[in-house]
Amino acid sequence: MKQTLTTLYRQTGSSYRKRVQGMGTFGILLAFVVICLALALSTPRFMTVSNLTIIVTQVSINALLAFGVTFVIITGGIDLSLGSMVAVTGVVAALFAHPDTYPLIVPLMMALGAGFLMGGFNGLVITRSKVPPFIVTLGTMTIGRGLALILSKGRPVSNLSDTFNFIGGGQVFGVPFPIIILIVVFVLCSLLLRKTIWGRYMYAVGGNEQAARASGIPIAKIKMLVYILSGLLAALAGIVLTSRITTGQPNAGQGFELDAIAAAIIGGTSTSGGSGTMTGTLIGALLIGVISNGLDLLNVTSYYQQVVMGVIIIGAVVLDGLNRKK
Amino acid sequence: MNRLTALTLTFLTTLTLVSCNQNTDSAEGDKPVIGVTMLSMQNEFIVNVSDEIDKKAQEAGVELITVDAERSALKQIEQVESFIAQGVDAIIMNPCEVEASSPAVAKAQAAGIPIINVNSETATKPSAFVGSDDVESARIAMKYIAERLGGKGNVIMIHGYMGQAAQIKREQGAREVLKNYPDLKLIASQTGEWDRAKAMSLMENWIQSYGGQINAVFAHNDEMGMGAVNALTAAGMKDKVVVVSVDAIPDALQAVQKGTLDATVYQNAQQQGSQAIETALKILNKQPYEVQVLIPFQLVTKKNVAQFVK
Amino acid sequence: MTSSKPILQITHLSKSFGGIKALDDVQLTLHRGEVLALMGENGAGKSTLMKILMGLEKADAGEILFEGEPLKNRDVKDTLKKGISMIHQELLVVPELSVADNIFLGRETTRWLPGWINNEDIYQKTETLLGTLGVAIDPRMKMKYLSVAEMQMVEIAKAISNNARIIIMDEPTSALSDKEVASLFRMIKDLKTQGVAIIYISHKMEEIAQIADTITVLRDGQYIATKPAAELDRNALITLMVGRQIDLLFPVAIGKQEEVLLSVRHLTQPGKFSDVSFDLHAGEVLGLAGLMGAGRTEVARAIFGLDPLAGGEVFVKGLPVTIRSPQDAIRYGIGYVSEDRKALGCIPGMSVQHTLTLASLKHYAQWGFIEARSEEGAAELMVSELRIKTASLQQGVMQLIGGNQQKVVIGKVLLARPDIIILDEPTRGIDIGAKHEIYKLIRQLTERGIAVLMISSELPEITGLCDRVLVLSQGRQTALLDRSEATQEKIMAHAVHQQR
Repeated sequence: MKQTLTTLYRQTGSSYRKRVQGMGTFGILLAFVVICLALALSTPRFMTVSNLTIIVTQVSINALLAFGVTFVIITGGIDLSLGSMVAVTGVVAALFAHPDTYPLIVPLMMALGAGFLMGGFNGLVITRSKVPPFIVTLGTMTIGRGLALILSKGRPVSNLSDTFNFIGGGQVFGVPFPIIILIVVFVLCSLLLRKTIWGRYMYAVGGNEQAARASGIPIAKIKMLVYILSGLLAALAGIVLTSRITTGQPNAGQGFELDAIAAAIIGGTSTSGGSGTMTGTLIGALLIGVISNGLDLLNVTSYYQQVVMGVIIIGAVVLDGLNRKK
Repeated sequence: MNRLTALTLTFLTTLTLVSCNQNTDSAEGDKPVIGVTMLSMQNEFIVNVSDEIDKKAQEAGVELITVDAERSALKQIEQVESFIAQGVDAIIMNPCEVEASSPAVAKAQAAGIPIINVNSETATKPSAFVGSDDVESARIAMKYIAERLGGKGNVIMIHGYMGQAAQIKREQGAREVLKNYPDLKLIASQTGEWDRAKAMSLMENWIQSYGGQINAVFAHNDEMGMGAVNALTAAGMKDKVVVVSVDAIPDALQAVQKGTLDATVYQNAQQQGSQAIETALKILNKQPYEVQVLIPFQLVTKKNVAQFVK
Repeated sequence: MTSSKPILQITHLSKSFGGIKALDDVQLTLHRGEVLALMGENGAGKSTLMKILMGLEKADAGEILFEGEPLKNRDVKDTLKKGISMIHQELLVVPELSVADNIFLGRETTRWLPGWINNEDIYQKTETLLGTLGVAIDPRMKMKYLSVAEMQMVEIAKAISNNARIIIMDEPTSALSDKEVASLFRMIKDLKTQGVAIIYISHKMEEIAQIADTITVLRDGQYIATKPAAELDRNALITLMVGRQIDLLFPVAIGKQEEVLLSVRHLTQPGKFSDVSFDLHAGEVLGLAGLMGAGRTEVARAIFGLDPLAGGEVFVKGLPVTIRSPQDAIRYGIGYVSEDRKALGCIPGMSVQHTLTLASLKHYAQWGFIEARSEEGAAELMVSELRIKTASLQQGVMQLIGGNQQKVVIGKVLLARPDIIILDEPTRGIDIGAKHEIYKLIRQLTERGIAVLMISSELPEITGLCDRVLVLSQGRQTALLDRSEATQEKIMAHAVHQQR
């Protein structure tokens, strides 16, 4: 009897494991494949190398932001200041990227520095004051927008150098540079989350902060880390965006945070913290990009586009939920 | 304890700010005071109009209270209400919406304060309107496209925010012209939400679906026009496609100079700003004034761009 | 005991889950006014039996006679209507509703309009009901303001108001203080005189001896025996439950060594405890005894850096240290196993391996990158050394049953290689077999020279295992007893000691 009971546990155990490791992103992947197939059947222009390249290029900005916010959401937080950070860092980069002024490294470092500071500010206030992240980052969102307007004096900062514009518009061996950035950042973020102690700690903090603290995990440092990562990735997104549209726009990035959060959540990151993967988030971002691109290709009017997008987002999450239950 | 401190601080800050405001008010004496509420200080064109209002007001010795409605009609109404409560002598409003900003006009008139709409209209007629007819700008742009294409070809239109006055009127103007050229076909239209990045993505997607069929692009503003130019340039198609947009922001003028943007339509921000303040002063000084001051648009192409670049 | 017809008779009951027999030919007989203790280790089949009785599961074979009639094809609502109620271990109450609302939830009386609740009526009825039970609780009070014991009374009142003739109580005392337990027992005795039959599920031997008339023992899904409670002493009962004799529930102590590993002086936290001082030697188990609310857990939390200290000094191996966070504590070689393993020990969604290595992750990492093999090796070592029964290292920690989950939490603390371990109620809610293993483990640790500070509410555990016992009462230390003088009576006397 004892023996058979152990066997029972073993069986339930292995099915649990499959569920956790395999099914987590399965629902969303399924939705993604179904939608891609549907689009491929409705228009021959969807499944072309050039169109797929364009989708990934367009997705890169949202994906960078979504990676950042995935870290934050895994620890049980939220970052609403992403869009504003994109604007600030984009403007900062543009200010230093006029032709024949500074070498390329300067605008990049300045923008990343600005992202670091804003993310660090978020983290500092959140860990020191115990004010909920929702409220703190809501505040930073407004502060950031103001800063972007101040720095740019309310006007787009244009006339950027060709080297700077290469980041968003250039190609290496036929691959658009934003895609290369996307892949490199994706790999780095995945490694950080899955292979390092800090990644493990993020899950612990989001899963049960009290237990994490009792296990000797430096909660405040981990939280600082995720908001700084979020800021740095927002800066990277700001650089790519600015370079892509060849101007630093103080009003750029409005609502970007919502798309990024949507990508993370569609990708299976739990809003209550403690779970989520970079792969899921990447698929989530791609899904949003594919839908938007596909509807443009089908020339669906913008009124319907918004409805369709909302329905598909809810559908994907419901599908994922059903799959988990099984 | 903490909450109390915070509350006290907030209270003190408010008090200080209020008293500061009153100080400046009383110090300025009996200069005329004009309240200005602008659609959005995040829009370059609007900022230009506002700057011109500021400049002219300073020259005329008028005190201005300028506020930003941040694209919210509700906020704008509240701002006008507060102008009325402060007893300003006149109000200049750059309306957010045709219908939703109308109550502000009605309220000002009910309080006997003259209100001048600048740049765009409201359903309720104000004391005076200073601006340009958006329908006209689209007509100019589309006519230019028709001429360039010899009256024949495929056109794509990038809209502003759907439902806003400027979008509705620019679409109306464009369609009027299209009717006169049966061989000019509108093959796709979609909103780019006035945004450069959005329009760029949109254009990239269209290039995928229509490729070489596209002969011209009309964008409702320069930001979106620049986005389309970026996408077309990246695809190596700019030489084959005519791109025209509206507003003549510095970026667009530069592009016209370089030849990447074919044309833009100059909407005279300086004129709108200065005429608005002049009309307001005329009303205050009981001088005769025009109820509708229309400032003409001008087509900007490579030929005449030099005169618009500062 | 009544000689009349039994109110409940279960015979030849069997139930399988996917080929595994959870219940195999089980029987149970219950009379009016009888308290029957249902005993057995975790996994013995008690909860399956109760689920079938309540109508949550269906039996594969066998018969249940309730008042002579077969009881079949029902759901929970039906069972309640027939007069069988269950008080669950985790109380199912709606905290924001009043006591009366909770009692009459789903059975509200209405007036005037359909759905319009007649509040006066249900308050009235509740007051009468609580009055007959001798409970002084305001029917209008919101549930969330009640103590756990009071909530339990309300649940019992709810059962009575349902005309319950059988009440099942699942570990009803797990969160009660001694005083509250006494009043619960008084109420049970009242219910008995009214002819209500009670099935009482508990691991606590002392309570069973006090309250039960009859004891039915299950083991591995099989019926073992039913005997009058008076005939079974502790050892006989354990033998029935475990199926073998545990001669030495508590392993022999090796005895403490001279080296003082942890020493605290005048620890104070206003409102919680004050002036607590003791030394903890290498290789000793120091018991921390006292009633609920005496400040035992608070002292442990403060030493471990979970809560700030207002005053006092802490010395680790003779050196003064300042511990501001659990991180500091772990660095100084202190480990803490919380009484609340779900809230403070486990992280939902994490696997057994990740939980085990959480506190010591740095040992398996280089430049922040975790070396998978090194981490897995450490986890495997713990699983085999603590005999954690888990399907695999990837099993979710929340899916483990009580004793194994506790072992994982202990394993996590051990992997951080502490010299000093604080165990807070380490055997709460786990079965006797697992308890025994944990006692053995504690002794293995002290043999290695580790010092253990153990908080426990179970006095036999304290007297059986500890080398010395520190007694707290209302936040003050009232005694420090040696093993030879630490009897249960003496500890109790110091624990209730009143201070002026």
